[in-house]
Amino acid sequence: MGVGENRLELRSIATQGNLYRRMIEEIQDYAIIVLDKNGFIQNWNKGAEKIKQYSEQEIIGKHFSIFYLPEDFKDNLPQRLLKRAEDTGVASQEGWRKRKDGSRFWGSITITAIHDENKNVIGFCKVTRDLTDRKEAEDNLRISEERYHQMIAEVQDYAIILLSVDGVIENWNAGAEKIKGYSSEEIIGRSFQIFYTSEDREKGLPWHLLSTAKEAGRAVHEGWRVRKNGSKFWGSITITALHNKSGTVIGFSKVTRDLTQQKIAEEKLAEYTAELEIQNSELEQFAYVASHDLQEPLRKIQTFSDLIKENFDDREFAEKYLNKLDLSAKRMSELVRSLLNYSRLSKDKPDVTEVDLNAVLREVKLDFELLIEEKRATIANEPLPKVQGNHMQLGQLFSNLISNSLKFSKEAPCITIDSKIVERSQITNAPKNLTNGVYCLIQFKDNGIGFEKQYRDKIFSLFQRLHGKQHYAGTGIGLALCKKIVENHNGFISAEGELGKGAVFYVYLPVVDLR
Amino acid sequence: MSEVKRCLIIDDDPDDQEIFMMCVKNLDNSIDCKTSGDGVEAIALLGSDGEVAPDYIFIDVNMPRMNGIECLTEIRKIEKLNDTRIFMYSTTAEEKRVNESKKLGAEDFIVKPIRMSELKEKLRHIFQSSVE
Repeated sequence: MGVGENRLELRSIATQGNLYRRMIEEIQDYAIIVLDKNGFIQNWNKGAEKIKQYSEQEIIGKHFSIFYLPEDFKDNLPQRLLKRAEDTGVASQEGWRKRKDGSRFWGSITITAIHDENKNVIGFCKVTRDLTDRKEAEDNLRISEERYHQMIAEVQDYAIILLSVDGVIENWNAGAEKIKGYSSEEIIGRSFQIFYTSEDREKGLPWHLLSTAKEAGRAVHEGWRVRKNGSKFWGSITITALHNKSGTVIGFSKVTRDLTQQKIAEEKLAEYTAELEIQNSELEQFAYVASHDLQEPLRKIQTFSDLIKENFDDREFAEKYLNKLDLSAKRMSELVRSLLNYSRLSKDKPDVTEVDLNAVLREVKLDFELLIEEKRATIANEPLPKVQGNHMQLGQLFSNLISNSLKFSKEAPCITIDSKIVERSQITNAPKNLTNGVYCLIQFKDNGIGFEKQYRDKIFSLFQRLHGKQHYAGTGIGLALCKKIVENHNGFISAEGELGKGAVFYVYLPVVDLR
Repeated sequence: MSEVKRCLIIDDDPDDQEIFMMCVKNLDNSIDCKTSGDGVEAIALLGSDGEVAPDYIFIDVNMPRMNGIECLTEIRKIEKLNDTRIFMYSTTAEEKRVNESKKLGAEDFIVKPIRMSELKEKLRHIFQSSVE
């Protein structure tokens, strides 16, 4: 290498160094400054002026700690950073710094040690970036996220929980605790199956809902769920699948509302409606048959009086039809009385006390004393139990059943009455709404004319007569009344019969409290 | 139709049977009028071999054992009664029952009248008219 070449190269290096310095001076987005060994500012660029607002003249020779906040001095941050840069060659940090006007900016700082040939530190290069915008955006996001989490955590009316892909509970809020009874410590990490009834678990409902949510994005369900204490609540549930950016399901959100009160109200309403419908149709039937059966004796009275008027001179004829007229009027008043009885039974809830059925039977026997004697009837009974019920109504029940047996007989009536305790499951033909539990069965058995099997249910309908009026008197209300009384006592009545051989009436009364 | 008119009244109420018979005899004493206490009895009578088919049958609706509509259904199954004119005869005319019985082939639905003269008038009309 020649001397000329060497000189050229030196000049090039000098020019390059100059260019490099100029570049640094002109950079606007980064504050790049040189510190001496002790941290005093030696050099300043446009970026530094832009970020920190000091001019070169103002700042050269000042200590770099001028940019730090009072609280940073407590733990000696500026000195610690310099020390770390000296020891390790570089120190990086992010934090709030102060501008000339006192306002703050979020600085990302890197301090690099500058060494001489002997590796002694002779100063530092400090590069600062203003990341205030990014910091504020991050902070806002974090605050918003925190607020959102807080909101979910504190929602009381909805259980909002996070499930893993396989249904493990990962998050729990106040609403979940309130509705389901578990604290977050108890429940996080367990399977969400725990809230389902054993029947639903056996049916695989929890997994079915998760797979529906996975496939369709969402699964909605209403049903009974189980609280920590074992009690049940009616939950309205929405499970929503959560996806990552590539569309893979990474978990589920599960929102549950406790609609037990609404459910109970709904069920009550449905019950009332059903009851009303029954009452309505009963009323319709009542109105029809009442008008029909009341019309009958009335019509006869008018017809007979016509006949009497037309044949007034024929004393024998007139007497015959006057008698018939009288009978029709009697029948009419009997009907009206029974109908009144029946409608009263439909309307009032009876007063319930402990009723000794032996006493009831004694009273009824006394009422029928003459008829029993006249028909040479025998009534045999085993000791009967005491039941919860209405004395007067149970009296009417016994009276109607016994009078039936006395009435529909060809020879001397022989009536036996006994009782036993049976389970709900032992009652054949029991209506669906008959509640579970223990029942007292009272059987009334007679040797009367009986009835054909197909009339087993029909005989309890209002105004349903199985026997012609020419043979057996009756209003057609008696057994309907019995049915009503037994139903008023939350019980069930049925009958079995064989034509010519007798009938058995089965009265089931619940043993439990009637309330 | 045979020379002597035959008529059957099916009714479980003895009074109503009596009133009906009285009206029929009053109108035309030659009419052979029989009674049945209910549907079962009537079907047994009508189904028996020796029994000549009546020209007219009157059926009460509310009867024990077999009601009037059921009785009408059974009567329709007896071939020899194909030409017999059948009338329902009841205290009240419930629309449902009226339609049902007409569908089953009853010619008319007679409400049991309060006045005997009304019943007589209705029967006169029936006995004098031919099949519609």
